[in-house]
Amino acid sequence: MKRSTQIGLAAAGVVLVATIWASSGSDDEESLVYNNLAECRAGGQLSSSQCEQRFNEASASHLRDAKKFTSTSACEAEYGSGSCQSAVWNGAQVIVPALAGFMLARSLTQGGGAAQPLLPPTRQACPPGSPAQECQQARSSSSSSGSGGYGGSSRSSSSSSSRAYSTTSGAALVARSGTVSGTSSATTVSRGGFGSTSRSYSSSSSS
Amino acid sequence: MRRVSLPPRPDWQDQVERLGFAFHTIDGETYWDESAAYAFTLEQIERDIEAPTDAIEQLCFAFIEKAIGDDEILSRLAIPDGQWDFIRSSWQNGERNLYGRLDLAYDGRGPAKLLEYNADTPTGLFESSVVQWDWLEQAMARGALPPGCDQFNSLHERLIGAFAHLRSPSPYRLHLTCVQNSNEDKGTVDYLMDCAVQAGLDARFTFIEEIGLLSDGRFCDGANQPIETLFKLYPWEWLFRESYAKNLATSRCQFIEPPWKAILSNKGLLACLWEMEAGHPNLLPAFFEGDPRCAGLSPRHVRKPLYSREGANVTLIERGKVLDSDDGPYGAEGFILQDAAQNLFGSPGNYAVLGSWLVASQACGLCIREDASPITKNTSRFVPHYIEA
Repeated sequence: MKRSTQIGLAAAGVVLVATIWASSGSDDEESLVYNNLAECRAGGQLSSSQCEQRFNEASASHLRDAKKFTSTSACEAEYGSGSCQSAVWNGAQVIVPALAGFMLARSLTQGGGAAQPLLPPTRQACPPGSPAQECQQARSSSSSSGSGGYGGSSRSSSSSSSRAYSTTSGAALVARSGTVSGTSSATTVSRGGFGSTSRSYSSSSSS
Repeated sequence: MRRVSLPPRPDWQDQVERLGFAFHTIDGETYWDESAAYAFTLEQIERDIEAPTDAIEQLCFAFIEKAIGDDEILSRLAIPDGQWDFIRSSWQNGERNLYGRLDLAYDGRGPAKLLEYNADTPTGLFESSVVQWDWLEQAMARGALPPGCDQFNSLHERLIGAFAHLRSPSPYRLHLTCVQNSNEDKGTVDYLMDCAVQAGLDARFTFIEEIGLLSDGRFCDGANQPIETLFKLYPWEWLFRESYAKNLATSRCQFIEPPWKAILSNKGLLACLWEMEAGHPNLLPAFFEGDPRCAGLSPRHVRKPLYSREGANVTLIERGKVLDSDDGPYGAEGFILQDAAQNLFGSPGNYAVLGSWLVASQACGLCIREDASPITKNTSRFVPHYIEA
């Protein structure tokens, strides 16, 4: 076959593929995080049926492993408002933190290994009103933003996206789209030294 | 190679917009045109397009080897001498390249001929990689084309693969940039950024006008983040002439495309390749204007500025008479003359030029643009293709 086998498009509004480093020691473990099944399918790293299998695994262990509460207020006190859902567990009505995403180690994407369910960040990790980007992402919606497109729609120039989660064992975790290196201590001495030629041409800078 | 008329999908605008393709219509004119498609045999693709594209790339590498050691060639290509060492070291350090597009004349018979090499800032990428791919899937699904058709198009997976290996260690932080106020350029960069993210990179966008200079000599983005690796959809010949030109070599930035692409994204390349390999089956005779050997060109030839984009300032001449031309701002650096291709695919009111894509210097995709005139301009239409089952 002379064509690509699958195409995933993040900015078309269906996927956010993040490379994550768990905060709990396994710093080198490269993983994939998807917020929902559609993102996984659109991401292109896994086949559609693999995504479904991983998502089902994560959903099953979510209910099994998530901390159970008897009231929404108790759950929200720990995970933040709007972060909980009701469920039936062993025949009883319970409240659990909602499934916020699922994570798989990249090395496992071709083979076995159960997907791990991800929960909203705890209040301790993301206090109400926290300005941290990963907290705002986690609180603003349950699915990834997808307002982009390929037609020049404006996107933030600081486009690295990160989002906070917690694991069922209570560990805090931030997923982001790649590595983050330290900011510079150097200061900006000038700006605007590129781009002047294009202003003097009406036609495109590309061909 | 055949041009086949096909009914467009009734909801084709919705279908391409769902992929995020927003410039299917430019200034009220159709750009994405699926009322037709080009059909190829697998043999035509592999023998006449893929293999010659790889061969021309190798020829270009041989030319760069020669050019970096030859001040006269670099002068003739109108590359500022202050940038020669910068270009040389990018080649000698083996800096990797991402992509390029060879424009070829081909009518299904005989060897394809190189019209030019868009080695530095090619566009048309998203529609080649994604939109025509999806068009084919849908055409087969609704029975407009038989099942088992294929397409010369592994661009998407090749781009993701290439991004991961442009720099080591990987993943790395990548900035992408283009000019403000160009939807087409922004669309191309948005797509490449998507590919980079899927390759696991920390990808960030900044407009080229926002780029600043840090006190330690590095460039920075609009948020003052230092730029370590920069994909720039902005031509080298412009960067070389702007006020930060003197800071390029000391910026410790890895550029994509690398500086050595400046040697290829120059119509002077066409004359230089012919000089190196006169008679090569995939080359057209070409000389710098003023070279006495121009007298030996065919009466029907094309005059092209060394730097030109989207057909601007290109003139088609027959026996001294101008047949077709496109106005534009280019030409100050000189011109080349090139024989007009005899094998441009033509149908009434339509001329087709093939764009043969390279990713990491490997031929891996095809796009076709049609125009009512023999010079492909920024008004041309993108027509999808398929390989017959």
